[in-house]
Amino acid sequence: MDTAESTTAVKKNSKFKQSLVNFFTDLYKINQFILRFFREAFVPPFEFKEIVRQCFEVGVRSFTLISVTGFIVGVIFTKQSRPSLSEFGAQSWLPSLVSIAIMRALAPLVTALIASGKVGSSIGAELGSMRVTEQIDAMEVSGTKPFKFLVCTRVLATTLTIPILSTYTGLIAILGGFLNVSQNEGTSWSTFIQQVFEPLTFVDFVASLIKSIVFGFTIGIVGCYQGYNSTKGTEGVGKAANGAVVTAMFLVFIEEVIIVQITSWFR
Amino acid sequence: MDATENRKAIIVGIFLALGLIVFILGVFTLGGQQKSFVKNIKISSVFSDVAGLKKGNNVWFSGVKVGTISEVKFIGPSKVQVFMNVDQATQQYIHRNAGAKVSSDGLIGNKIIVIDGGSPQAPEIQDGDVLQAEKMLSTDDMLKTLQDNNQNLLAITTDFKVLSHKILEGKGTVGALMADSTMAIQLRGAMRNLQAATQSAANMAVQLNNFSAKMNTKGGFADKLLTDTATFNKISQSVAQLQKTAANASTLTENLTKASNKLNTTDNILGVLLNDQKGATQVQTTLNYLQQSSVKLNDDLEAVQHNFLLRGFFKKKAKAKADSLKAQ
Repeated sequence: MDTAESTTAVKKNSKFKQSLVNFFTDLYKINQFILRFFREAFVPPFEFKEIVRQCFEVGVRSFTLISVTGFIVGVIFTKQSRPSLSEFGAQSWLPSLVSIAIMRALAPLVTALIASGKVGSSIGAELGSMRVTEQIDAMEVSGTKPFKFLVCTRVLATTLTIPILSTYTGLIAILGGFLNVSQNEGTSWSTFIQQVFEPLTFVDFVASLIKSIVFGFTIGIVGCYQGYNSTKGTEGVGKAANGAVVTAMFLVFIEEVIIVQITSWFR
Repeated sequence: MDATENRKAIIVGIFLALGLIVFILGVFTLGGQQKSFVKNIKISSVFSDVAGLKKGNNVWFSGVKVGTISEVKFIGPSKVQVFMNVDQATQQYIHRNAGAKVSSDGLIGNKIIVIDGGSPQAPEIQDGDVLQAEKMLSTDDMLKTLQDNNQNLLAITTDFKVLSHKILEGKGTVGALMADSTMAIQLRGAMRNLQAATQSAANMAVQLNNFSAKMNTKGGFADKLLTDTATFNKISQSVAQLQKTAANASTLTENLTKASNKLNTTDNILGVLLNDQKGATQVQTTLNYLQQSSVKLNDDLEAVQHNFLLRGFFKKKAKAKADSLKAQ
């Protein structure tokens, strides 16, 4: 009995050690993957056509989804904030509250989460299927640089378009907030915009922009990493897509905390 | 294939360009509101307490946002220097003797600096000027005043409670009035009388009004009295003469009084005649004697006329009288 228990304990211990090893190995691989991206992304030849195509896929094709989501976020946030402010008789602060919430947090975060689900999974699944069907290997054999063509273009596209999508999300969410405020409080557009920009500073704009860039890069790099390194056939494709979404979302929240902490030092 | 790629490129270009335009518009709108793109002058003020004021808070002048707080720093014990970036366009309206105080944009709003006061005679502020800090009215001060008011209100309501209790018990004048129906009836009567008196007073006032209107009638006696100097002089003279007459009358009255007083005494003839019965009897007797004597004297004189010694004289007299009658 004691021997069996000790055997189980040894197995658990070895599993833990293996997990730790795998974790640090993955960390190393991710690090190498990111470094490779920076080594290859800014060195000619540039795959402009592919970058534009990816921008179209990532940005333009996500625009409708992002717009609807942003509008709903604006309306819902305004609607849900009203009762709390009404207790103080401070409904007039709704535009300021909405703008702070949207510009500082919601616009980049919602955009990143939606993009993680739509774009991240798409990239992970696409590259994963290319990996398991050995298309990437074939590209390497044929002399085409698959990393530059597949990874760099996608990561650049997400890094470029997510901030733009975040800007649209912010604008549309504020429009949604305005519709709700206008309907309930009868606030005019000029007054609303005046109050929207009243509490904002350039730090908010810059922080929001930096967050969006970081989120875009994260979504792209995680999706590409998961897909580019997928294994185990069709099962690996699903895992890559799932891993891309889960990891990207998790990292987005971690980055959000870190960036908020850093930007608070500049306020 | 190329056409599709071109179309995609154009759409992506439009997508990116519009996104950038929205972002840049946001930046410019924010910059416009923050007055980041206007020329500023930097002024400051030193406070003992800034109540949570921080960089980026607004600066108001006459209720208009004219700048923002650029820096808040300690320069000594209980001395906080607040630097403000103020729009240069408003420089001409802010004068050096203006004051700065920490306030808030609403009851629970953000802290702001309010610049107020300043006379046009003073020179306008310049870059680097330090405005005089004014003590702010803190929430604690307001609460303290509110607490005082609460205590006063409590004292008033306590007094009123006692008062209303006494009234309910029928104590005091008001209580008696409310409890005693007789007094209420009397009061009602008194009120009625008062109302009648008021009505009379009103009528009197109307009559007085009419009277004064008549007095003011042009050419009337009162008007002449008040406005015509000739009439006034005549009246003055008349009054003076009347006074003189009155004085004479007074003297006459005094003299008459003295005379009548003397008549009441017996140290003079009339007084004796009027007051002394014995004397009066004697005078009466004397007068009787005189009457008797005069009768006898008359008889004697009649007898003398017929005397031969004097008869010629009387004849001559009668003849002269008859001649004078003939001559007429």
